[in-house]
Order: sequence, then structure tokens, then C-alpha cells
Amino acid sequence: MEPSAVKSVDLCKIYHSKDEIEALKGVNIDVSQGELFTLLGPNGAGKTTFLRIISTQLLASHGDAYVLEHNVTTEAEEVRKHIAVVPQDVATYNNFTPWEYAYYFARLRGIPSSEAKCKAQEALKAVNLWELKNRMCQTLSGGERRRAIIASVLSSNADVLMLDEPTSGLDAVARRGVWSALRELVRNGKTILLTTHMMEEAEMISDRLAIVNKGSVVACGRLDEIKSLVKERFRVVINGDFQKISNHIEVVKLGDRSIAYLKTQDEAIDLLKTTLKMNLRAEYSPVTLEDVFVKLVGGFNNHENQQDIA
Amino acid sequence: MLLAMISSIPLFFMLMFSSGGNVIAHGLIGAMVSSVSFVGVMAGIQDISWDRYVKIREMIVAMPVHPASYALGIALAPLLVSIPSLIFFGAITAYLGFLTLQTLVWIVPALIIVWAAMSTMGFMISTYLMKSSTMMLNNLSNLLGIGFIFIPPVYFSEAQLGNLSWISVIIPTSNVAGLIRSYMGLLPLSTETIIIRWTVLIITTLAFVTLTFIKARWREK
Repeated sequence: MEPSAVKSVDLCKIYHSKDEIEALKGVNIDVSQGELFTLLGPNGAGKTTFLRIISTQLLASHGDAYVLEHNVTTEAEEVRKHIAVVPQDVATYNNFTPWEYAYYFARLRGIPSSEAKCKAQEALKAVNLWELKNRMCQTLSGGERRRAIIASVLSSNADVLMLDEPTSGLDAVARRGVWSALRELVRNGKTILLTTHMMEEAEMISDRLAIVNKGSVVACGRLDEIKSLVKERFRVVINGDFQKISNHIEVVKLGDRSIAYLKTQDEAIDLLKTTLKMNLRAEYSPVTLEDVFVKLVGGFNNHENQQDIA
Repeated sequence: MLLAMISSIPLFFMLMFSSGGNVIAHGLIGAMVSSVSFVGVMAGIQDISWDRYVKIREMIVAMPVHPASYALGIALAPLLVSIPSLIFFGAITAYLGFLTLQTLVWIVPALIIVWAAMSTMGFMISTYLMKSSTMMLNNLSNLLGIGFIFIPPVYFSEAQLGNLSWISVIIPTSNVAGLIRSYMGLLPLSTETIIIRWTVLIITTLAFVTLTFIKARWREK
């Protein structure tokens, strides 16, 4: 087991506005060095609050948090030497080039000019922007701009990178470009703490993940460990008016479509045959992270939660 | 820089239609003081609007950068941009015979201090505006410009206020404008008055610096 890069112990945050809002309710998370750890949750789950506390931007109400064994409250200056953050919905200065982003951010950390140039070059190559280094950000695509900002945190040579929904608003191709850059960083020994509400993203790039809902960690572990938390292993998606044939099968109605969740592959195949006899179109597959997520945050038939996730 | 140049167009109208050179000198002093004051008071407030869009501050808070050096950078950048317009106005003032090397020795520190006072005031005000809308921030910037630059005797001599001329001492912008007028020979002030005005200016600036340090939060609560 690698030593801890980020650790939180009973972390709580209460916002005092008109009503008291408990954004974090005793969160315990342990991120190992050299892994990509994802906080997955719907909007308002507390992911950004957690990230902002860990990155020394916000004070916790109770509990402790550590980055590389430095307390984020009492040793903030030491923590800041080791971290770099990409906030949510961050935009670029239109007149800046990717080179300027990467170079000036290194200089801001007090890195000497010649070394900063080397770091900027490495960072831009790592995110595959070296060819575009002198183009103004306003002429770059959304994905390229996001990668320019990621390059700015990479050039800092920080050990722990924290990214708050780094691919939100990007198309599929741009998203994959960012994922590729992040996985490359992990291969080079960086620790990445990432937040997202996109199941596909969490499934594709995480080493481990935590599902957060309403300020609490609902589940934490590797993808296979998370999936094993629900007893259903397979799902059958049925098109048409499907009537429930057994009380042992959990079925979710989505308008004229139904999803049945089953424990074994045999059960799934049996149901498939039944639906074919009923002249209904159906297909089966293993349960997805989204299915597990929905189940863990409120149950398959909790439509309120399903709408949140959508 | 171009906008600052364009903003001096009214001065040319004053030049064309005014009967005496003193009116132009008052206008030029006002232009110099307003150049540094406006960018100062705007710096902290604009930082809030910019941070909502580019979020550079959020990234910098999580870096080993001292808050004071960040604030200094934010305030210095627009001051550097305003230097060409200052040189432009200064050159016209010198051409008209109101600005000499001796007066420049006093005018430059006065302008730097009023910039510092207005910058720290801007940062202090901005600490109360974290949740304000962009429209509110823009309107407030305009109001501050009117309140500190156009209403007090910055573009005109405080002598026109008669018994109320003391007001100009307590407002940093008009205080500095009065001092510059005095050094240029446009406003007769005794040595004691000049010392009092410098003292008030420095105390006001230090008060705003102190209040900003007490009120400003690098990390949110």
C-alpha cells in the first residue's frame, strides 16, 4: 500500500446562510500516492466543497484533512507547495497562449526562469499542446483550452493535482484528450484527485473512486469493489410494454422502456427468452457504474435521485 | 492606453475655448490624479468579476504565493498601463509651464500614495462584495469614480468650495490634487497646511492598508 497523499478524517462543513447547510457530514477518504482517485456524485453532493477544503481554499467546520501528511488548516503554506488546482468551470484568458499559461504559473511558484521554461515545455508536451504553444487561447477549441490550464498546473511540478470536473462541457473527443493526459500523469507518478458527475469518466480513468451523496461517502473502493456492493450483476433493457413477471426481479420503468436487474447471467438469459416470446425487443449486459450509483444513492426505483443524476 | 488618450479629448476643448491657462492646468491635474485613483479603486473590485470567469485567484490561493504579493500585482498592473497617459498629461502640463523637475519630485510620491490609498480602499470594499452581482460591481465602480474623482475638487480648485474647502483634505484624491496645485503655484498653501495634508494623506492610506489586512480573507471561512 502506497503512503497517503490525501487523507480526510471526519471532515465536516456547515455553511451558515439563512439556513444551515451541512455540505459535508464526516467524510473519511484516503488517497494513496500515485493513484487517480475520483469523487463521484450528483450536483450539490459536496465534491467541490471537499476539494476546496483539501486545496486550502476553504476552512472546514470540523474534522481534519492532510495532504502528504501536512494538515491543511494548520500547515496550509506547506500544503500549497505540493498541490496544484484546476477549479470548476475555469476559463482561459483569451490573449494568453498555452506557453504563457504553463511558463507564468511555474514562475509564480518561484521557479527560476530557465527551469520554468523546461517545466513549461514538459507540461505542454504531456498534454499534447506543444505544437499549439504559441496560439492565443481564443483560437483554441474548448478541450485545448482546458488542456492549457492543466498544463499550467503541471508546470508547477506539484505532487498532488486536484481537478474539479475538468471535462465538464467538453465533447467526447476533447474529453478523451484530457483523460489521456491525466492517465499519462499518473503513469509518471503524480497523484490526481478528481471530481466528476459523469459515470463514464469515473469508470474510464479512476484507479479508485468514492461515491458521494448529500455530503456523505456512500461507497469507496476500486470499480469492481463498488460494483460488488449491489447483489444484481446483470440488467436487461426491454423495449415495449413489459409486465413484471416475478416479484424477485427489480424492474425500473422508464416510460415505454423497462430495465430489469438480475443476480445471475442465467436469470438474465431466461428473461431475455421470455421477452422474445412476448414479441418485445430486449438486450442484456452487466450492470454499469450508473446502475450501481443509482442503487447506492437511493434505490433503482427512486426517480427523484435518477432525475438528479440525469 | 488608447482609451486614456481619448479620455483627454475634453481637455482639448477646454484648451480651445478657455480664456486662461489655469483652467487647463486644473483639468490636467484632475486627469493625472483620476488616472491613478480610478485604476487603484477599480483593481480590487474588478478582481472579483474576473475571478468569477477565469478563476485565476482560486488557482493562486492553492499555490505558495503570498496574498500581499497577489494584491500588489493586481493593483500594479493597471497602474503600469496608465503610465503612458500620465506621461502624456505630464508632458502637456510641462509644456504649459506648470510642471518642473522640482515639483515633479513631490508630485510623483503624491500620485503613488493616492494610488496606494485608493487600491487598498478598493480591496477593502471588495471584501464586502464577494456575493454581489456583476451589474452591482460595475455600477459601484462608476459610483466610486463619481464619488472620489468627479464630485470632490479634483478637476477644479478647492478654492471654489469656499468655507467647505476643508472637505478636500479628508478625501485622498482631492487632497493630492490640492497638494499638486500648491506645488504648481495654483493654490496658495502655507508650509504647515502642506505638512498637515501630507500627514492626513499618509494616515488615511495606512488606515486603509490596516483595514484591508484585517478584513481581507485569503482562505474562505
